[in-house]
Amino acid sequence: MGQVFSFTNIFGKLWGINKDIRILILGLDGAGKTTILYRLQMGEVVTTKPTIGFNVETLKYKNLTLNIWDLGGQTSIRPYWRCYYSNTAAVIFVVDSTDKDRIAIASKELHMMLKEEELLDSALLVFANKQDQPGAMTAAEVSQALNLTDLKDRSWSIVASSAIKGEGLTEGLDWLMDVIKDEQL
Amino acid sequence: MSLEKKIRNFLQGPRKGETFELKNGLVSQYKHERKDAIQRVIQAMTVGKDVSALFPDVLKNIATYDIEQKKLVYLYLMNYAKTHPELCILAVNTFVQDTEDPNPLIRALAIRTMGCIRVSKMVDYMEIPLSRTLSDDNPYVRKTAALCVAKLFDLNPEMCIEYGFLENLKKLINDSNPMVVANALSALYEIRDMKEHIPGFEDLDVFTTNETVIKNLLLCLNECTEWGRITILTTLNDYQTDNQEELIHIIERIVPQLQHVNPSVVLSSIKAIIHHLDALRNQEMKESILRKLSAPLVSLVSNSIPEAQYVGLKNIRIILEKYPTVLSKELRVFFIKYSDPLYLKLEKLEIMIRLSNDLNVKLLLGELKEYAMEFEPSLVSKAIKCIGSVAIKLQSCTVKSVNLLCTLIDQRGGDLIINESLGVLINILRRYPGKNDLITLIVPVISNHINGIEDNNDTLSGYIWCLGEYPKYFQNTETLENLTLFVDDFLNYDSTIQLNLLNTIVKINLTNNNTYSNLLQKVLELATQGCENADVRDKAYIYWRLLSSDDTASQQKIISHKLPPINTTISSFNPNVLESLIDELSTVSSVYHKPASTFIDKNAYTRPSGASIPGSSKVKGSSNGGKGGIEDLTTMAKQEIINNAKNENLLDFDDDETDDTSSFNANGGSNGGRTSVLDDLNDLFAAIPQQQQEQQKQQPLNIPKGSNSDILSLFDQQPASSSNKPANKQSGNVNNDLLDLF
Ligand SMILES: Nc1nc2c(ncn2[C@@H]2O[C@H](COP(=O)(O)OP(=O)(O)OP(=O)(O)O)[C@@H](O)[C@H]2O)c(=O)[nH]1
Ligand SMILES: [Mg+2]
Repeated sequence: MGQVFSFTNIFGKLWGINKDIRILILGLDGAGKTTILYRLQMGEVVTTKPTIGFNVETLKYKNLTLNIWDLGGQTSIRPYWRCYYSNTAAVIFVVDSTDKDRIAIASKELHMMLKEEELLDSALLVFANKQDQPGAMTAAEVSQALNLTDLKDRSWSIVASSAIKGEGLTEGLDWLMDVIKDEQL
Repeated sequence: MSLEKKIRNFLQGPRKGETFELKNGLVSQYKHERKDAIQRVIQAMTVGKDVSALFPDVLKNIATYDIEQKKLVYLYLMNYAKTHPELCILAVNTFVQDTEDPNPLIRALAIRTMGCIRVSKMVDYMEIPLSRTLSDDNPYVRKTAALCVAKLFDLNPEMCIEYGFLENLKKLINDSNPMVVANALSALYEIRDMKEHIPGFEDLDVFTTNETVIKNLLLCLNECTEWGRITILTTLNDYQTDNQEELIHIIERIVPQLQHVNPSVVLSSIKAIIHHLDALRNQEMKESILRKLSAPLVSLVSNSIPEAQYVGLKNIRIILEKYPTVLSKELRVFFIKYSDPLYLKLEKLEIMIRLSNDLNVKLLLGELKEYAMEFEPSLVSKAIKCIGSVAIKLQSCTVKSVNLLCTLIDQRGGDLIINESLGVLINILRRYPGKNDLITLIVPVISNHINGIEDNNDTLSGYIWCLGEYPKYFQNTETLENLTLFVDDFLNYDSTIQLNLLNTIVKINLTNNNTYSNLLQKVLELATQGCENADVRDKAYIYWRLLSSDDTASQQKIISHKLPPINTTISSFNPNVLESLIDELSTVSSVYHKPASTFIDKNAYTRPSGASIPGSSKVKGSSNGGKGGIEDLTTMAKQEIINNAKNENLLDFDDDETDDTSSFNANGGSNGGRTSVLDDLNDLFAAIPQQQQEQQKQQPLNIPKGSNSDILSLFDQQPASSSNKPANKQSGNVNNDLLDLF
């Protein structure tokens, strides 16, 4: 039995069948990371509590197996983000578009993270989330506040989204899959 | 070092070697590789390799639907949480989710692991999971959560009370499931022990038994696992009632437990029954219950593990002292088997002499003779001492025993046998003073063999005493010659010999019209001028003064006054000690034969300032491995070695205390001395905890919490693994499978 399994494993490896693609969801606390993760995975809005630690779910998307890690965004947990950087294909950075007060902090965290060597090759997808809320900044405003145009040598994109309504999520993910596929092959 | 830096250091780590490989495996993009790596990590962990450096990477694998993998990661966490308290926070989310899992096994596993991770940061997140699992539908989850409350109490008693966990735990005493009841009980016990040592919590009302609680417990008794039963039996043992009807009900419910296969359950049942027996007024019923104890007591000695038998024997010895007749028909059970380890043989002998009576003594002497002809010296010498004890205990067999000893001397001979036998024979003389037939039987044997004896103080002292006590039975030349020899070498002898020599020469001179005055003069001079022992010197002075006075009446009175006969050479406990030992049956006390208070220091559990939970806010000193940390560790390690050595001494099987009484000091009068000998011993042991106090303060975790639980581990591994058996059948198999891992 065991041998048969390892046999398929070898082939799996050759053709990249079993290979999981690691994606991190990062962002400040309350941005909507956990909500997005489960919206993507189960297609529904779950009630969340602040994430002390992390969630990880596997998602089949367009023939790819995505391993999506949703890390807690509280100040006390942010230092541990870096424990999860290695082998990361892409980072999804979630911003609460209504939280103008902390957009500067979000920007700082984002750029600090992108400086890390382990993330040099990772693609970046930013969700300007909570678009369903009145007074939310547009994707362009968020992009500007985050200084995204400063990013060099990196595939990145920003998508306006609402996790509650389920808008923008697949669009963002589709873009991400295209980028990743290019890089994996 | 800043947190930031610490995490960075972690992530860097070595770039090759096993750790590097495992690390890569743990974060591999392939599921099977991750699982394989986890297995290898656990494997390394169980053989004692330090794989703590992999902590963050192992932790990443905690959120999984693969229950096997989850178990392994949990196992790892429990082991290493303390090395990385700050990283544990990353596991919180998963823990909380797992306590809501549809699978009760995962819920229980999660709360159990959360409880075992003794990290104060974790405590902050325990509120919701713990209250949820305490009221879980599934009894297996509830029973696991119950134990968790005690662990939380240890870390944070305030929180445990504030959030009502203690109250919830108390409610579980009335749970519908017996296993939950038993676990709640043992958690409450743990809390009760702990709170004594936490300032401000001493008066906390943890748990009180009353009739209703007891009734419920009695109902559960039969449905529990071994551990559960023992906990319940312990509670019954703490309960006191004078209500005869209730009393009988309690005893009747316990009696079936006497048949249990686990010796610890049997012993706990015996203990609980004995506890309640005192209050039972119906004598006839009392007798009949006592008779029921005989078979279970015997079963303790039939265990296949010698250590367990030993524990049984030690307990039996205590019980026999309270109820000397419970086993009077069972002598044969205690006969020595060829394959018994020495410590078991010696302890069996102790029981045998206590069981001897006029009906079985013939059989017993036959056995003892066999043992006296064995090869192990300590067995031989003990067997001979036992022959003496029996001769002194039972008048009907004295002559028979003396003859047996003479036969041994004649047929076997050898220094050991002669030495021991002479000592025993002299003791027998002291039991029956002035009995002509015995004296004529014994004295020649002593005279014939005493010359071979050189270095046995007790036997020599006894011999010298005999010379003074029964001068007529010795030949005058022998007496003079030997006494002169002893006096010539006076200063080189042990003080017991010196004291006896003084006494005998004074005595013999007085009764023989000063024929020994030269010797007397010499010995008094030596003792007063050359002897460095104050007792010997003072005694010599007193004699001298007495002899120089003209008051012959008081000379006679003091010097020739006969000592009271000795009654027994079988040691017994001081009544107070016996009472506590009966209360502490089936604990380490019953093996040491010392009350727990004499070897467990009350202050041992006070919260230490250094060795507490890492990252706990209560800790004053820094627990990070700075220089001070290393030093602390070194001293802790040293002390552990010292303590271990001390423990070994405690377990030393050479039963000093029993030999004490047979050691002979004619002037000391060992009759009234018996109890004081034990008291002294207890004092001795009471002194140890004081010395250890300081050491223990630093490492209280190594010291058994109450001696209760420890003894259980002596009995068989079986209860340990089965303790976790689920209470409900439906989840039985899976549970076992899950728990096998731990
Ligand atoms: N109106 C609106 N609310 C949202 C949206 N996405 C998330 N939320 C709400 O924002 C709150 C926080 O969402 P979470 O998903 O828990 O946030 P998080 O980023 O995981 O927070 P941490 O785990 O603390 O880092 C929740 O009450 C969500 O319902 C959105 O698109 N629109
Ligand atoms: Mg979250």
